[in-house]
Amino acid sequence: MSIGVKLDRVLLDRGMSLTELSERVGVTIANLSILKTGKAKAIRFSTLEAICKELKCQPGDVLTFVDDGAPNDHDG
Amino acid sequence: MKAIGKYSLASILAWGLYVARVVIFSAFVGLSIAAVFTPLLPFIAPALDDLPGVSVSNHLDLSGGDYVEIMNHFVTFGVMLFIVNRLLEILRTLRLGSPFAGENAERFRQVGFALLLGEGAKVAFLILGGVFDADVDLNFEFITWIAMAAVLVLAEVFRQGAKMKEEQDLTV
Repeated sequence: MSIGVKLDRVLLDRGMSLTELSERVGVTIANLSILKTGKAKAIRFSTLEAICKELKCQPGDVLTFVDDGAPNDHDG
Repeated sequence: MKAIGKYSLASILAWGLYVARVVIFSAFVGLSIAAVFTPLLPFIAPALDDLPGVSVSNHLDLSGGDYVEIMNHFVTFGVMLFIVNRLLEILRTLRLGSPFAGENAERFRQVGFALLLGEGAKVAFLILGGVFDADVDLNFEFITWIAMAAVLVLAEVFRQGAKMKEEQDLTV
């Protein structure tokens, strides 16, 4: 199981750069890059809230669930 | 006292361990030379006797027990040197401010197993000492086993800490 991130697509739709989003939400570009490239292991509600607020979208627009058949990390 | 940086506990400990490493390394090199040359002494003694003013053969009284004693010290100092090196590597990461790394968990585990190897070697040398009638001074101390358990527990704590650190670093 994995969670996909569609941040690059939403940014493209809004015509906003990662640097601009970084300045608006107060998250470093390095951290946003981690999120955009799908390397992030977790996202804070506060970060998600700030991103959705600035991009005027829903969490589901940024995140997507991909069932790849792999077991969940938290299943032990 | 500061935990990291100049004049911190970590840097003072590191200096102490650097000094200990030099002393142990010197002893280890001396024992390595002894371990190699002692079995060869009966063969090279006649050649040394030919040198003017040198008489080795008359004083040469080596038994199997002497080799066992040398090997016992060789292994003991080898284990000590290994542990000091691992501790210095751990202290280096502590001074750099990133001690919770998977490598440190592995280093602590290696220290624990080195202690176990040292204790296992004592048993082996105790048996060999009995066989070769060597006067090997071996003390089995309970505190060593407690230390071994503590280090292995610490290794597990560091392994979990490294996982938590990675998760924290990858949380946005």
